[in-house]
Amino acid sequence: MKRIVTMKGLALFAVLLAAFLFFHPSGVKAQAPIKVGIIDTYTGPPTTYTYDVRDAFKVAMDEINAKGGVLGRKIEFTTRDDKFKVDIGLSMAKELVMNEKVDILMGTINSAGTLAISEFCKTEKIPFLVTFSKSDKITGEKGHRYVFSITENTVMIGKAAAVALSKKPFLKYWIAGDDYEYGHALADGVWGNLKKIKPKVELVGQSWWKVGEPDLTPYLTAISAAKPDAVIFATGAASMVNAMKVAKATGFAEKIPMFVHTATELSTLAPLGPEAPEKVIGTSNYHFYYPDTPHNKSFVKAFRDAYGRYPKVGALYGYLTAQFIAKALGKAGKMDREKFIDALEGMKIDSPVGEVAMRAYDHQAMLPMFMGVTKKVPTYSFLIASDIVTIPAKDVMPSIEEIKKARGQ
Amino acid sequence: MGFLPTFGPAELLSQLIVGLSRAMILFVVCAGLSFVLGVLRVPNIAHGSLYMIGAFATYSFSKSLTGSAGFWLALLLAPLVVALISLVAERALFRHLYQREHLMLLLFTFALALILGDLVKIFWGAEYRSVAAPDLLKGSISMLGSSFPRYNLFLIFIGLLVAIALWLFVNKTKIGKISRAAAVDRDMVGLLGINVSWVFAGAFVIGCCLAGLGGALVAPTVSITLGMDHTLIIEAFLIVTIGGLGNMWGALVGSLIFGVTQSLGVLFFPQFAIVFPYAAVVIVLLLRPKGLLKSVW
Repeated sequence: MKRIVTMKGLALFAVLLAAFLFFHPSGVKAQAPIKVGIIDTYTGPPTTYTYDVRDAFKVAMDEINAKGGVLGRKIEFTTRDDKFKVDIGLSMAKELVMNEKVDILMGTINSAGTLAISEFCKTEKIPFLVTFSKSDKITGEKGHRYVFSITENTVMIGKAAAVALSKKPFLKYWIAGDDYEYGHALADGVWGNLKKIKPKVELVGQSWWKVGEPDLTPYLTAISAAKPDAVIFATGAASMVNAMKVAKATGFAEKIPMFVHTATELSTLAPLGPEAPEKVIGTSNYHFYYPDTPHNKSFVKAFRDAYGRYPKVGALYGYLTAQFIAKALGKAGKMDREKFIDALEGMKIDSPVGEVAMRAYDHQAMLPMFMGVTKKVPTYSFLIASDIVTIPAKDVMPSIEEIKKARGQ
Repeated sequence: MGFLPTFGPAELLSQLIVGLSRAMILFVVCAGLSFVLGVLRVPNIAHGSLYMIGAFATYSFSKSLTGSAGFWLALLLAPLVVALISLVAERALFRHLYQREHLMLLLFTFALALILGDLVKIFWGAEYRSVAAPDLLKGSISMLGSSFPRYNLFLIFIGLLVAIALWLFVNKTKIGKISRAAAVDRDMVGLLGINVSWVFAGAFVIGCCLAGLGGALVAPTVSITLGMDHTLIIEAFLIVTIGGLGNMWGALVGSLIFGVTQSLGVLFFPQFAIVFPYAAVVIVLLLRPKGLLKSVW
C-alpha cells in the first residue's frame, strides 16, 4: 500500500515539475526566493517569547514580499524547533544549511544553543542573526564576523538597570534571584555597574532560590525583615511571575521598592492580569504603547490585525531582524553572504523604537532601554509601565574596550 | 556585608507561619502519595502530574465564573476532575500492575507522568497561568508589627482540616479500616470476602484527589506552569521517605520539617537557603534510615 502511494506521488511530482519548467522557460534559479532558516524553541514555556519573534518576522516579511521582495526575489523562511536543547538546535542548524540550503540563519532563545550554532556558522561562513539569547558572550568573548545580535544582553541589562537605579535615592540593596547562570550574570551586571556609578551603595544581603522554586513567600518575608532600601531581583521568566505575585500578596511591593528587569514587559504583566503589584521598577526593550510614534502604531496595528494580540518584546526583535535582513540584502545588491555582512555592519534602520544601528565592531544592535514603573490603568486588563524614561543605546552598550578585553585582544 | 540579618520575634513568627503554610500544601499532597504507597504499594511518580492538573483545572474553573466564586468552585471541582482521571487510570492501567515489582511500577508511573505532562501542554498550552486568590483572602493582616498574607493563614487552617478529616476517615470509617487492613495484609482482606480490587481503586482515587486538592490550594500562590510537577514530586518523595513510607502522620511530620527548615533557613542564611530542607532530610535518614514514624513497608 505504502509503495503505491509513493509511486503515485512521484508521478504527480514529475507532472508538476514538467508543467513548472514548461511555464517557466527562463529557468527556476533566477526566480528562486532567498531562504532564511529560523531555529528556536517552539515547545514548552519559552514559546511565550519565541512565537512573537516568529510572528512579527512574518508580518515584516509579508510587507516586504507584497512590495515585490528584495532584489526582485521573495524572502521565504523555514522554522525548526530545538526543544530548548543545544544538540537538537545544532543539528537543526546543520540540516537547514545542508538540506534546505538556507542563505541566512536566525534564532534562538537558548544561550548555550546559540553559542554552539554561532561556532558552526563561523566555520561554515553563514550569517547568523540572534533574536533572544541574552548571553553577553555571543557578541563579546565569542563574537566573530558571522554572528549578529538583535536583542539585549546581560551586560546591557546590567548597565541600563544601574543607570536607572543610580538616579534613585536608595543606598542599602538586597539582591535576590534564580540560582543559575542568567540570574548571577544579571545580578553581577547590575551590581558592578551600579557600584561604579554610585560608589556609596551597599549590598546588605542576598537570597538565591533554585530555578522553579514554587513558593517565594518565605524569601520575600525574610527580605522584608532585613529592611533594605530596595531589592534587585535577578530572575528568569517563571520566577518573575511568581515573585511579582508574592510581592503583591504579602504587601512587599508596597513597603520596599523592587527592581525587576522586564517587570514592566507585557510577557510578565499579561499573565498576571490585575494580580500584578504596582510601583515595581522595570526595564524593557519594548512596549506596544511606547514610544507613541506612527511607526510603532503601524507595527502594532499590523501585528494585531494578523494575530489578534498585542506584540511583546520578542515581536520587536523579530521585526527588527526582518528589517535588517531586507535592507542589508538591498545594499549588498545580490545574495552574497560576505557582501551581506559588509552591508549589515554599521547599518541603521528606522524602527518602532526609533533609529537602531548595528554596531560594526561587535555586531550588537544598539537598542534603547525603557525604564518604567508598573501601574494600573482603566484601558487594559493588565498593568502597564508608566513614567517611562528612555535610556539611550549609547549608555547601555558595552564599550569597544570592554569587548576587546573580553576577546583577549 | 552583614552575614546575619537583624530581626526580632515578630519576623521570626511571621517566617514560621509562612513555613507552616507551605508545609500544609506539601502535607496535603504527600498524605495522598503516602496513602497510595501504604495501601497499594505503588510509588506513584505521576502524583506530581495530578497535582499539576489540579492547578491547571483550578485556573480553568476560576476563569469560568467571575469574581471569587470561580475560585471556590474550582477548589471543589478541580480535585474531582483529578479523581476522575485517576479512577480511569486505575481501572484501565494500574489494577493490572499491582503484582509487578517496584522497579516496573516506577518506570510505568514515570511514563505516565511524561504522558500526563504532554497532555497538559496540549490541553492548556505552554503559557504561564495565574489564579487570583478570592477577595476574602486577598492582601495581608498585621500582627505584632509584621504582616501575614491572609491566604497563607487560610492554608494552615485547610491543612489542619484535611489532617482531621483523614484521621476520621482512616480510623472511624469502615472503608478506612479496610484500607488500613489491606495495607498490612491484602490477601487476608480478600479472604474475608471483601472486594480488594475496589478497595484499592477507592484508596487510589482518594490519594490522587489529595494531589488535585494540593494543586488547587497552591494555584493562587504560584505561577501555574509546565514543570511544576517535577519540582514537587522530588520534594514529595523525600518527605514521605523521612516520615516513614505509607504513614500519613509521617507525611505530616516530614512536611513540617521540610517547610519550616526552608523558611527559617531563608531567614538565617538567605544565600544558602536551598540546602536546608535537604540537609534535614540527610540528617533524618542518617539517624533513622526507615523514617521518623513507623513505615508500613
